[in-house]
Amino acid sequence: MARYLAGRIAGLVLILFLVCLFTYLIFFKLSPDPAVMICGKTCTPERILQIRTVLGLDEPFLTQFWDFLSGLFAGRDYGSGVNLIHCQAPCLGYSFQTNQSVWEMILDRLPVSATVAVGAAVLWLLVGIGAGLFSAVKEGTWWDRTLMNLALGGASIPNYVLALALQYVLVVKLQVLPFPSAVAFSDGPALWFQSYLMPWIVLATGYACLYARLTRSNVIDTLAENFMRTARAKGLHPVLTMRRHALRPALTPVTTIFGMDFAALLGGALITETVFGLNGVGKMAADSIAKNDQPVIMAVTLLAAFFVVVGNVVVDLVYTGLDPRVRIR
Amino acid sequence: MRRSAVLATVAVFTALALTGCGGASTPVSGAGAGDPAAAGAGTGGTVHFLLSSDYSHLDPVRGWDGGVNNFYRLIYRGLTTFGAGPGTEGTKVVPDLATTTGTPSDDNKTWTFTLKDDIFFEDGKPITSEAVKFGVERAWDPEAGIGSPYAKLLIDAPKDYKGPYVSGDLDTIETPDAKTVVFHLKKPYADFASALVQPNFVPFPKGTGAADAFDSKPIASGPYKVESYRRGASLKLVRNPHWKAASDTVRAAKPDGFEFTFGLDGATIDERMLAGQGADANAIAGAIQAATVARIQTPQIKERTLSGYMGCTTYMSLNTTKKELGDVRVRQAINYAVNKDTVVAGDGGTTLAVKATSIQPPTIVGRVDYDPYPTDMAKAQQLLNDAGLGGGFALTLDVRPVARQQGMAVAIQEALKPLKIDVKINNIDTSTFYEVIGTPAQQHDAALTGWCPDWLSGATFLPPLFDGRNIVAKGNSNLAQIDDEAINKRIDEIAEMTDIDAANAAYSELDKQIMEKAPIVPLVYEKNVTVIGGNIAGAYLNDSFSGGIDLVSVGLEDPSK
Repeated sequence: MARYLAGRIAGLVLILFLVCLFTYLIFFKLSPDPAVMICGKTCTPERILQIRTVLGLDEPFLTQFWDFLSGLFAGRDYGSGVNLIHCQAPCLGYSFQTNQSVWEMILDRLPVSATVAVGAAVLWLLVGIGAGLFSAVKEGTWWDRTLMNLALGGASIPNYVLALALQYVLVVKLQVLPFPSAVAFSDGPALWFQSYLMPWIVLATGYACLYARLTRSNVIDTLAENFMRTARAKGLHPVLTMRRHALRPALTPVTTIFGMDFAALLGGALITETVFGLNGVGKMAADSIAKNDQPVIMAVTLLAAFFVVVGNVVVDLVYTGLDPRVRIR
Repeated sequence: MRRSAVLATVAVFTALALTGCGGASTPVSGAGAGDPAAAGAGTGGTVHFLLSSDYSHLDPVRGWDGGVNNFYRLIYRGLTTFGAGPGTEGTKVVPDLATTTGTPSDDNKTWTFTLKDDIFFEDGKPITSEAVKFGVERAWDPEAGIGSPYAKLLIDAPKDYKGPYVSGDLDTIETPDAKTVVFHLKKPYADFASALVQPNFVPFPKGTGAADAFDSKPIASGPYKVESYRRGASLKLVRNPHWKAASDTVRAAKPDGFEFTFGLDGATIDERMLAGQGADANAIAGAIQAATVARIQTPQIKERTLSGYMGCTTYMSLNTTKKELGDVRVRQAINYAVNKDTVVAGDGGTTLAVKATSIQPPTIVGRVDYDPYPTDMAKAQQLLNDAGLGGGFALTLDVRPVARQQGMAVAIQEALKPLKIDVKINNIDTSTFYEVIGTPAQQHDAALTGWCPDWLSGATFLPPLFDGRNIVAKGNSNLAQIDDEAINKRIDEIAEMTDIDAANAAYSELDKQIMEKAPIVPLVYEKNVTVIGGNIAGAYLNDSFSGGIDLVSVGLEDPSK
C-alpha cells in the first residue's frame, strides 16, 4: 500500500510539473505582452521595457520558469529598493492587473467555490442517486419512464439558460429568493442558504440527471447478477438484499465519477459563478482570461489540475475500499 | 484614452482601461431622474453601487480611467477638481484643496497654489504643502507611477528622477511654507489647472504608500475612507470624521457610506436595477446592456433612467501606410460611403449611440459641430475612380469579438460593398486587440476602436491620435500612422497658446484640418444609459467621468429606507 501511494504521489507531482511547464510555455510563447496592456495610453516603448523589467518579463524563459517554481516552495522577491516585496511560499506571484498576491486571491475565493461545490454535490447526490434507485426498482413502469425522461431533459438544459430562467422566475417574478451573492455564513444562516440555493440548484441539475441515469443502469445490472439471485433465493428481505448486496457494487462507478466531478468543481464552476456574480475561483478564472492576467491564469490552471489529479488518487483509494476485487496488497 | 476605458467605467472591463476619460456632458434623450448636485438627497443611509468589475487601483498614481477617477473623489482630494453638477457644471475646473485654480508666473511656466485651512487626512493630521509635493512625486516611481502621465509630462524633473522612495525630494516642486506649493514646469502650460485634476496629484503624508500599500488601504483626504475592501468582491466606505464640509465646495457627501459590490454579471445587474427590490432601491449601476434597452421604455423605468454622452468617439482608423489607403481620395471615399445611421443601428440603436461626424465628441469644450463627409455614394465612387480603384479592393478591418463592435463592423462591410471594397472582418480577442493594433508592424488596413480625452479639451484628444511624432513601434495610438507636417506644426502652435479658450477653438479648427486628410472615419458617440434605484436622489451624469453618475452628489431620498 505504501509503495502504491508513493508511486501515485510521484505521478501526481510529475503531472503537476508538466501542467505547470506547458501552461507557462503557452503564456510565455503565445500570449500577448502584458506590459503593453498595462502601459495603456500615452505609452512609449521605454515605458513598456520598464514594465517588462519590473514584471521580470525580460528574463529568459527558463529563468522565469525557475523563479516561478522556486517561488512556489521557497518564496521570492519582487521589485527593488523600498518597493521590494517578499512573496512568501507558496508564492504564485502577483496579479498583473491588481498587484494582489495570487495566493491570497485564491484563499479569498476558494471558500466560495467550495461552498458552491459542496452544496451542489449534496443536492445532486441525494436527488440523482435517489431518483436512480427509485427508477431501477420501478423499472419499466410509468414512474421509471417519467423520471428518466425528466433526467434526459434536465441534462440537456445549459447551465446559463437554467440560471437566468430560475433567476427571472424565483427572484424577479415570484420574489421568493434574493439575488444570489457570496454571503458569509456569519451574516445569517438563512440568508446564506437563500443566497446559495439557486447556484446549487443550477449546478446540481445537470449532474443529478446524469447520476440518476447512471445509478439506474448500474442498479439494474447489479440486480441481474448471480449473487443477487442467490441472496434472494436465501430468502433475505428485499430491503436487506438491496442495501447489503446491491448498493455497494452498484454505486462504485458512481463514486468514481463523483470524485472526479467534485474535484473538477473545486477548481471553480466558471459559468454558474459568472452568471450569478459569485466571486469564486471560477469567476476569477473567467476574469483573468478576459484580462490576460497571466499569473492568475497560471494559478487557477494549476489549482484545477491539482484538484483533478488529487481527486483521481483519492477516488482510486476509495475504490479499493469499496470493491474488494481491486484491493491493494 | 481608449474606448475600453469607458467600458470599464461602466463596469465592463477594467483590464484595458488604463487612462482617464472625459464623460457625458449634457443629458441627451431620456434624461430625467438627475437632479443638480445632490438635490433631494437626505443626509445618511448607504448608497450601493453594483459593478461588473473592480476598480483598477485604489492608489491614485496607479489607477486612471473615468470610473476610478470618479470613485477617487469620494476618498481623495486634489488641488483642483471638476465641479459637481450636470452639463457644463461638471466640467468646470474648480479649486479643491487649494484656494484658487493656481497663480501662473514666468509666462505659465511656474504655478503657485495656496492650501485652504481645515484640511486633514483621515488620521487627523493636517494636509500640508509637503504632503502635496510628496503625493505628486510618487508619479515618478517606476513601479507605482503607472497611471496618469501628466505630472511627468508637464513638471520639470531630472531625467533620472525615480520618485520619492528612490530619489528623494524633487526640487522643481517647492514648498516655501506649509500652505504654499510651487510647481516648475518643463515649458509654459496654460491649462495646468485641468492637468491637476488628474488623480496623481493627490496628497499623502510623506513616506507613506511604498510598494502597493494604498491599493489595499488608502489614506483618505476626502469625505469617506475605506472601512473594508475585498478585491474583486466588495468595498465599503464610511465617513471620514476629519473631512470638513466647510472646506469642500464640491462634495455634497450626503450618504453615511457607500457599498460597492464587484464581479456581478452585467445581465444580473440590469435585472436587479429593473426589479429595484429591497436594498437595490438604494443602488446605482453602470451602463445597461444593449439587450436591456427594450425593457427600459416603460414609464416607471424611464423615470429612473439617466442618459448622456460618454464623451468618447468610436472611429475606424485608416492605416495610411497601406497601399490603397495611402491615397487621401480613397480615405475620403470611404468616409463618404460609410452610412453612420446603419453603424448606429449596429451599435445598438439611437438609445445607445449617436452618429459621429467630427473627430471630437460633443462634450469637448469649444468643439464645433460639422459634417465633412455626409453619406454620398456617387461622390465616393467618383473619388475611387479618380484614384484608379474604381474596380474596388480588399480591406482588412480589425475588430474585437464583442456584439456591438461586430454590429458596427458588419454595417461598414455592407456600406462599402457597392464600391466593391471587400471588407474582411478580422476578429482579434479583446485581451490582445490593443496590443495588435498598437503595433504598426502587426496592424492591418483598418481598426474599429475609440478614444476618450483625459479632460474635456482637444489637447488630450487630437495630439495623441494624429501627431506624426507619436508613432511608436509598440503601444502606438496614432493608428492611422499619419505624419503630416502641417498637422504636426499646428499641434505645436496650439500647445503654446496661453489663452485656453483660443486653444480650444483652435483644436476645433484642427479637427477640420485633420479630417480633410480623412485618416479616420468617425462612427458614433456612444451614450451611457443607466437605471438608478427608486430611492436614489441627486443622481446626474457627470461629463468629466465618462458619463458616470457623479458619486460626490448622489444620495438617498429617504435615508431611513
